[in-house]
Amino acid sequence: MENGTRIPAIEAESVYPKGLQSVVDLFGSLPEQERRDALVSYADQARKWEPKQGESFNLEDVRKDEECTDTVGVFLKVDNEERATFRVTLGPQVQTLTRAMTAILCRGLEHSTVTEILKVPSDFVPKIVGGELIRVRSQTVYYVLTRMKGICKVYLDRRRAAIAGQRNPLL
Amino acid sequence: MGRLPPEGKLAKPGPQAGSLKLYRQLEIICDEGLDCVISADMSTAEYAHPEALVSTEWLAEHLKDPQVRIIESNEDVLLYDTGHIPGAVHVDWRRDLNDQMVRDYINPEGFAELASRIGITPESTVVFYGDKSNWWACYALWVFSLFGHHDLRIVNGGRDKWIAEKRELTREVPKYAPTRYPVSQGRADGTIRAFYEETLTQCQAGKPLIDVRSPGEFRGEITHMPEYPQEGVLRGGHIPTAKSVPWKTAAKEDGTFKPVEELRKIYVDNLGFESSEHTIVYCRIGERSSHTWFVLTKLLGFQDVKNYDGSWTEWGNKVRAPIEKP
Repeated sequence: MENGTRIPAIEAESVYPKGLQSVVDLFGSLPEQERRDALVSYADQARKWEPKQGESFNLEDVRKDEECTDTVGVFLKVDNEERATFRVTLGPQVQTLTRAMTAILCRGLEHSTVTEILKVPSDFVPKIVGGELIRVRSQTVYYVLTRMKGICKVYLDRRRAAIAGQRNPLL
Repeated sequence: MGRLPPEGKLAKPGPQAGSLKLYRQLEIICDEGLDCVISADMSTAEYAHPEALVSTEWLAEHLKDPQVRIIESNEDVLLYDTGHIPGAVHVDWRRDLNDQMVRDYINPEGFAELASRIGITPESTVVFYGDKSNWWACYALWVFSLFGHHDLRIVNGGRDKWIAEKRELTREVPKYAPTRYPVSQGRADGTIRAFYEETLTQCQAGKPLIDVRSPGEFRGEITHMPEYPQEGVLRGGHIPTAKSVPWKTAAKEDGTFKPVEELRKIYVDNLGFESSEHTIVYCRIGERSSHTWFVLTKLLGFQDVKNYDGSWTEWGNKVRAPIEKP
């Protein structure tokens, strides 16, 4: 900017998967009350992301953690191109923000590869939830993302171990 | 505080002298082996201040009572938005009741602003309910008490009971005409709120101190409430001489309060607390202890109970604060 020199605008490449980026963009334009309404709307949809009858998964992780008020089950299905699909079960005491984040992440990360999911920075969460809600309740908003990344990591570790085992059967 | 509302103020007041009489009549009938159902209203009749507790039935009958303002206060910050009791307004403990800079409550001007915004006057009957067995409803009631609002009540069983009874919920946010609630002379910090120094003196004197946290927190095995690991402190344990009486001791499985005789047995007969003695309750930040404060003052009639809202998040972080572990 010095001497009147303009710095050329750099088109930043999104660091979020496409689906998640569109959710971030949507929330970025909403005033506070509409943001809350949208979060409640996503929370209402959380049950749509429960496992469907007959579905099979590569990994299932159902547990009650101290970080959450009730049991959360995360189910991961990975296709031949390493693209992930998540299904999530939520206990009745799970808080609304966690329900909302569940629906947002199941939708936003759908068909991203497990490697891409592990690289997703968590800074999108405040962009969706908003500074006000992050400030008043910080403890609940990162939980589902952490669980999803956790199951992806386990999947990758096991797959690498399996590949290593194939290369060296003595392992 | 704790006084009965003026005669004729409400179309159908909560359980008072009349229902006490009816309760006793029903007891006699039950003793004679006849089938009977005692409503929640009647079961509260022998509490020290039965007017401080209303049943879901009572609330359902007063949804449109202009004298009554219903307030929902929750742990789950979006729960109100998912559906609430018709006519209820939302008061959030962090956003509305806490000072946004200093760890303290809003000042009298802030309270007057809040009260005016939700359209109440000093004469309004304010009825609180919420999630988590009414922790935050009791907390909000206690904060409203700091500013001297008289007619404050809790819905027995809170939000869960209302929903379990399949009563109406709405997402419509009510709009009330703002009032001009007067700014109170001060905040009752000296009468119902304890600070560190007073709590330390209480501990050193061996006077009644009640720790209402979970047993694991009391023993110092965990430095946070289960499910809230980010809200821990540097040291675990409890204030020396404090007795462990988890808040849940006073509640039934459905979130309603236990009957007065059971409460008396717990706090007075078994633990030896006396209603006339100066007593301090604490937890982690003062929300669970607000529940116990309500039980002791409104249901058992203890005359001098203070809530130490600094609680363990202050004590467990304070340099040289004495700590005991079993």
